[in-house]
Amino acid sequence: MIIDFVNYAINGALLGLLYALIAMGFVVIYRASKVFNFAQGELVVLGGFLQWWMVVSMGLPMIVGIPLAFVLAGVVGLLIERIFFARLVGESVFAMVMVTIGLLVLLRGVVLVAFGPQVRPFPIVFPLQPLVIGELMIPTNLLWGGVLTVLAAIGLSWFFNRTRTGLTMTAVAEDHQVALSMGISVKRSIAFAWILGCVLSTLGAVVFLSGKSLNFLASEIGFAALPVALLAGLESIGGLLLAGVIVGVIQGLATAYLDPLVGGAVGSVLPFAIMLLILLVRPTGLFGWRTIERV
Amino acid sequence: MDPAGVFAVRYAQDRALLRTRKQWLALAIFLAALALLPLVVGPRLIAVANIMLISAIVVVGLQICTGYAGQVNLGQAAFMGVGAYTAAVLAEKTGLSFLLTIPLSGVAAAGFGFVFGLSAARIKGFYLALTTIAAQFVFHFAVLNLPGSWLGGSNGATVPPATLFGYRIASDTSLYYLCLICTVIMVCGAFGIVRSRFGRAFVAVRDDDVAAGIMGINVVATKATAFLVGAFYAGVGGALWAYMLRFVAVDQFTLFNSVFFIAMIIVGGMGSVVGALIGVFVIRAIQELITTLGPELAASLPFLGGDIVFASMNVFLGGSIALFLIIEPKGLMHRWNIVKAGYRLWPFPY
Repeated sequence: MIIDFVNYAINGALLGLLYALIAMGFVVIYRASKVFNFAQGELVVLGGFLQWWMVVSMGLPMIVGIPLAFVLAGVVGLLIERIFFARLVGESVFAMVMVTIGLLVLLRGVVLVAFGPQVRPFPIVFPLQPLVIGELMIPTNLLWGGVLTVLAAIGLSWFFNRTRTGLTMTAVAEDHQVALSMGISVKRSIAFAWILGCVLSTLGAVVFLSGKSLNFLASEIGFAALPVALLAGLESIGGLLLAGVIVGVIQGLATAYLDPLVGGAVGSVLPFAIMLLILLVRPTGLFGWRTIERV
Repeated sequence: MDPAGVFAVRYAQDRALLRTRKQWLALAIFLAALALLPLVVGPRLIAVANIMLISAIVVVGLQICTGYAGQVNLGQAAFMGVGAYTAAVLAEKTGLSFLLTIPLSGVAAAGFGFVFGLSAARIKGFYLALTTIAAQFVFHFAVLNLPGSWLGGSNGATVPPATLFGYRIASDTSLYYLCLICTVIMVCGAFGIVRSRFGRAFVAVRDDDVAAGIMGINVVATKATAFLVGAFYAGVGGALWAYMLRFVAVDQFTLFNSVFFIAMIIVGGMGSVVGALIGVFVIRAIQELITTLGPELAASLPFLGGDIVFASMNVFLGGSIALFLIIEPKGLMHRWNIVKAGYRLWPFPY
């Protein structure tokens, strides 16, 4: 019994770290452009399809195909910035966020036109056998994903809080006009945000989909990761790790113990209930910035 | 701007929506044309017109919530769904007349919307938009997990046809008149709301909520009211939807539909009731065109496959949102106003 509990908790925590990795896409784009990206889930799907295209469809060996797909994802991010956001610098943030709502459906359409609605096999990047320690069973892809998430969080946290470039981007997240008047290029910052966002989403797709099947419905993970981003606060990268573990463990235990009692789906809705609760009690999340508004 | 030579000399004249006799005439001709439409066009187009009228009600509500009060609402389809299910259950279980179920559906949806609007007490900006996404998920979860005998679960629920004095409103034409009357009432109401004290409070909160608060407007109550009104419109639209299809299911009210509604107000023009109507007409007309032409297109270009219709709808919709925000953020209504001012001033530049 107790070993089951530990098993559920550990698996939940690792799944939570995967959510944290996806949520990192939200946070990175927010931290460098002040835009909340509603299209995060679609970026994950796009990243997944790029991997599939390179490795399965083109038949490139994994060692070449996977890095190439990351490069392509970066190009997609740059294209998104060039086509949409470069023209909106100086407009309200509201307009930019509405564009991401447009991207939500636009990218889905593009994926459907380019790759079709069929279910595709995703390359097996991480070994399928779970890691067995005593009676604990840990899926390998989630374990590697957790390690990658922690590394990415530490690296990006250091970048945004300690380096000069990262701090200038933080200024963009604070206020576009102020950043512009300090000589910071808002355009370059937004371009960087979208490139990094796309690359992180592709990494998320690799961890999430490794050895599974892929079609456009995989984008639901984007909204599943939303509670993690909000619990951490949209400005904090390091906080994502803690928030991911909290949400993941709660969800894992709820799925294991509550779903049989009420007949399903509590595990998938509980994070949203947590999200609403957090927003009501502490709108800026655990580690978000407290903003002071002036008129 | 008024036509040359028209000056308001009384307050009532200044407040009036229709200033000149010609405007009254134009409105009368327009309404008469709408009333006579079923005599001219076939049943297929009338069915399309019904969908347009219902969308118009829902989108006018969204326009009040998002365009006037500035609260991004990604849950309008869920609010519409609450209205549709309320109408379905009331009509099926209690046999109430549609004269009662339609307003009651509006009230039910308004209550649901108000709950999410109340979170404005703590949350603002895009966090608030996120809670409306949560509305979408809560709605789906509730419908699918409540006992099947209540709402029909994933099978959906059937709706008996609306009847008035023993006459069944089931044909496309009779439904058209029902939808038309409801739309006219709701649009008149919208014009009233947006130029009232509440409407001015909405605009003040949209432009700067901190400044609005300092001027003495109760910001939280205003935001919650905006959600309440917007959701009421969605509920009425949802009830009509239930009577039109005579069947409601949870997958008719998805986040995708909410995005569709947002696209309509962006294309039509934010902050204008007429703009919402134009947006509904343009987007639905193009959508209909894609659906009609899609199969032929897919047949003539077989390499694209049959799924191109849904896919191209997505591309068109997302593309039009982004394009309008970049090129004409004020929407088609703004363009039309420029043209109108131009011909009223002609031959003078200003």
